[in-house]
Amino acid sequence: MPVVRLYYEDMERLIGASRDTIMSRLAMMGADIGKRAEEEYVDVEFFPDRPDLYSPEGVARAMQGFLGLRTGLVNYDVEEGPIVLEVDDSVKSVRPIIGCSVVRGLEFSDEAIESIMGLQEDLHWGLGRNRRKVAIGVHDISRVVPPFRYLGADPAREFVPLDFSEKMSMHEILQKHPKGRDYGHILDGCERYPLIVDANDDVLSFPPVINGELTRVTDESHDLFIDVTGTDPVVFKALNIVVTSLAERGGRIESVLVRRSEGDFRSPDLRPAPWTVASSEANKLIGFELKAPELADCLERMRFGAKAEGESVQVQVPAYRADIMHSWDIFEDAAKAFGYDRLVAEIPKTVTVGQAHPSEVRKAEVREIMAGLGYLEAMPFTLTNETVHFDWMRRPREGATRVMHPISELHTILRTSLLSSVLEIFSLNQHHPLPQRIFAAGDVVVGRKTNMHLAAASIHSGANFSEIRSVADAVLREMGLEKQTKIVPSEDGALLPGRGADILVEDENIGLFGEIHPLVLRSFGLEQPVVALELKWGEL
Amino acid sequence: MLSESDAKVLKAISEGQTDPQTIAEQLGMKVEAVRASADALEERGLSKVNKTVNEIFTLTDEGRLYAREGLPERRLLQAIGSGKSMAELKDPALKIGLGWLRKKGWAVIQAGEIKPIGTAARGLDEEVLEDLLSGPKSGTMLDGNGLAALKGRSLVASSKTKAWKYEITPEGSRAASDQKAKGAESIAAITTGMIKTGDWEGGRVNYGGRLYQARPYDVTLAADRIFPGKKHPYQRLIDFMREIMLEMGFTEIKGQIVQSSFWNFDALFQPQDHPAREMQDTFYLESRAEIPDFTKVKEMHERGGTVGSTGWGGAWSPEIARQEVLRTHTTAVTIKYLADHPEPPVKAFGIDRVYRREAIDATHTPEFEQLEGVVMDRDVSFRHLLGVLAEFYSKMGFEEVRFRPGYFPYTEPSVEPEVFIDGLGWVELGGAGVFRREVTAPFGIEHPVLAWGLGVSRVAMLKLGLKDLRLLYQSDVEWLRNTPVTVKL
Repeated sequence: MPVVRLYYEDMERLIGASRDTIMSRLAMMGADIGKRAEEEYVDVEFFPDRPDLYSPEGVARAMQGFLGLRTGLVNYDVEEGPIVLEVDDSVKSVRPIIGCSVVRGLEFSDEAIESIMGLQEDLHWGLGRNRRKVAIGVHDISRVVPPFRYLGADPAREFVPLDFSEKMSMHEILQKHPKGRDYGHILDGCERYPLIVDANDDVLSFPPVINGELTRVTDESHDLFIDVTGTDPVVFKALNIVVTSLAERGGRIESVLVRRSEGDFRSPDLRPAPWTVASSEANKLIGFELKAPELADCLERMRFGAKAEGESVQVQVPAYRADIMHSWDIFEDAAKAFGYDRLVAEIPKTVTVGQAHPSEVRKAEVREIMAGLGYLEAMPFTLTNETVHFDWMRRPREGATRVMHPISELHTILRTSLLSSVLEIFSLNQHHPLPQRIFAAGDVVVGRKTNMHLAAASIHSGANFSEIRSVADAVLREMGLEKQTKIVPSEDGALLPGRGADILVEDENIGLFGEIHPLVLRSFGLEQPVVALELKWGEL
Repeated sequence: MLSESDAKVLKAISEGQTDPQTIAEQLGMKVEAVRASADALEERGLSKVNKTVNEIFTLTDEGRLYAREGLPERRLLQAIGSGKSMAELKDPALKIGLGWLRKKGWAVIQAGEIKPIGTAARGLDEEVLEDLLSGPKSGTMLDGNGLAALKGRSLVASSKTKAWKYEITPEGSRAASDQKAKGAESIAAITTGMIKTGDWEGGRVNYGGRLYQARPYDVTLAADRIFPGKKHPYQRLIDFMREIMLEMGFTEIKGQIVQSSFWNFDALFQPQDHPAREMQDTFYLESRAEIPDFTKVKEMHERGGTVGSTGWGGAWSPEIARQEVLRTHTTAVTIKYLADHPEPPVKAFGIDRVYRREAIDATHTPEFEQLEGVVMDRDVSFRHLLGVLAEFYSKMGFEEVRFRPGYFPYTEPSVEPEVFIDGLGWVELGGAGVFRREVTAPFGIEHPVLAWGLGVSRVAMLKLGLKDLRLLYQSDVEWLRNTPVTVKL
């Protein structure tokens, strides 16, 4: 989750409350406060559903409401500006959606620049799916001349990218610029690349990769042009979050006329979205008993516009909120404003009788038998690899479920049997006194279906067939399988020929036992005889 | 081998005799011979000889006289009454007392006349004198100062005597019983016949006309360490949690490890481009699954269905939903169960392995156990969820629980329970919320579903004091052996 750095002094000024007051309520608003409290600032995390809290300005806006200092909807003035951006049809197959805005009259401290850069990066992560869906550019507008144009450009087109002094072609940027290497894949397969240029054909931005060096924002910048491009209407949410955040810093928002072949529009559009919610529905979901005016009051403290009308509340959802999909999202905010700590926890009266799953009951029986026979339980991973699971066991590579992108060579498949996992435990424990007797009862996956297996093995200098035969007989007897099973010589590669047996029920092979083949032991690095048993005892 | 007399003395000592005189009388031996044997036994560590030296005091003839008649100074004092001139003292026996009379401060001589002063209380010397009249006594029974005074006046004489006290050692006991068995065969194992018909006396048995002695062992010595077979400590914790859930009336549910993306993600209203669905977080399989009728789920994702939601917009692809994954949470199993059981009430739980594409380290493993519980019923609310959570965590032994706002893609409202742990403070433990309408509506579930889940391995770290999660799965046999079944959970 994105980390937002909140400087106490900055927050006290933006919110108008003391540090102690702010810190005491921040967690209950939904912030995850870092353990390391610094002298001057605190790092907090907010959930991915609230990108509007990814900046100190956004946090301050929400906190003012939460503390009851300034409640209700914030009305941001949008001045109708003269600047035009034209969307060329050539970009529509590549990155069709653009929103933009001008914000004037800003004074940039280092903190403010850090905050806007941080917000931009966090939005790329939180809403933008790493720039694929949304990419944001912020520019010093004094360096360029409107009108602007958004087009699909020839990859050979050259300009000086941010942090470089030489001209590079867009194609080169994808090869050589660090940002190009990070985000170039988004443009894989595109014949033209998105580009924003000014009236003189100077480059502002190569979304979603890099801005031009020309429009770099410095502490001397006052007037900004913001472009947000992408593939989804969430682009406009990101734009709204950025411009309202800048407005909280004292900026004046000025709209841009976006010209498109399918129709013009003014951007940004900060009109709130109207919702009507019933207080009875809120009460039913949360379990409190609020009248419509009280509900409206809670919502105003979450910076919604809210007006009670009879049993209902007319809600205006701020244009920067990206998470309101359903009335329950609004009710959750009401519950937060009410305070989770003020809700009285109550056990529901739902009367039901608890019931264990039959396979867990069976598994508990298996454990009791094995513990009674002196075996210690292990709970190895179900992920393993073909080398250990098949090759070392002298078995064919069959029936395993393979994961597509393993994270390590050790974990490439789900185990189809348990025995190799138990042998691995022996090899980890060779330095401890023998005999060791280990069992595992758990899931294996064969043909993508979950089965339940038991494996048990014994390692010591005197381990022999009759020891494991006795154990196998005892297990089958205790599990009530003795009468149905038939013991026949086994061909399994993991067992020493002539000293291994298969367990059959009718014609189905449900297990085996015997002396482990010395070549198997050698693969696992074991130097003492091992006898072992494996039994399938259930499937889901 | 002990000599015959040594053996006899050992036996006597082992039977509790302590002094040579008694033993000598009992065995018809000379005291000196008994003492010699006892010394020999001590050298072999079979007995202990405690020697004490005692000083005995007796009255001299003069002392005995004074003891009967009184010390000269006492008699003189009586003779002078209230005062008498020196010239009147004729009796030479009384004259002896004069010096002592003055020394003890009982009288003064003034101008040739003896005058008594003070009370002339009976002295310690006089008491000792009287004590010794009945016979010789050890110094420990007499007053030291009185004795010293009398010794100085040669009224008592002393003589030193030695005393011996014998005590058996553990080795001596064994040797004595071996000795006792002499003539009896020393044996380690007892036979069936001896148990059934032997004539037992202590550790000795007369069986089949022969005497046997069960050889005594040093019971204080430790034997080889053995270990019981037992459940894994982590399984013990899982069972503890299962019992809590069963006790609270929940039905246990289980499901496949391999799930379709449909059940793992789409049914839970996770948008198809959600970061959690990306390759770097989820184990995908090459295979495709059969999925149920998805019309309503598709409609919900794209346009919000009929519950007044906006939906995610965009196009929902059944192809993406068919991709199989290793379940990333037990919620995949839960939602399928609820889809099959849409009528209230439902209280269900599961504890099972889930898979995340994470590199292994001390606090991350690519598979771990998750507990999940749901309550679905008429008229249950978020407040009831908090009630279930408070009850669950308190049964788990976490006394203090608090609730912070949380976020999970498929619940609204969402909450993060935190428990207070000494030394750690508030620790986030799991997540909870009410299933979104976008999740429940497509499956005909019309009543609220309260849900919560938590990572069981995290609980294990707290409860079993683990520093490294890998220990749960790549078990160290010594750790298993040394973690008792009584380990506090």
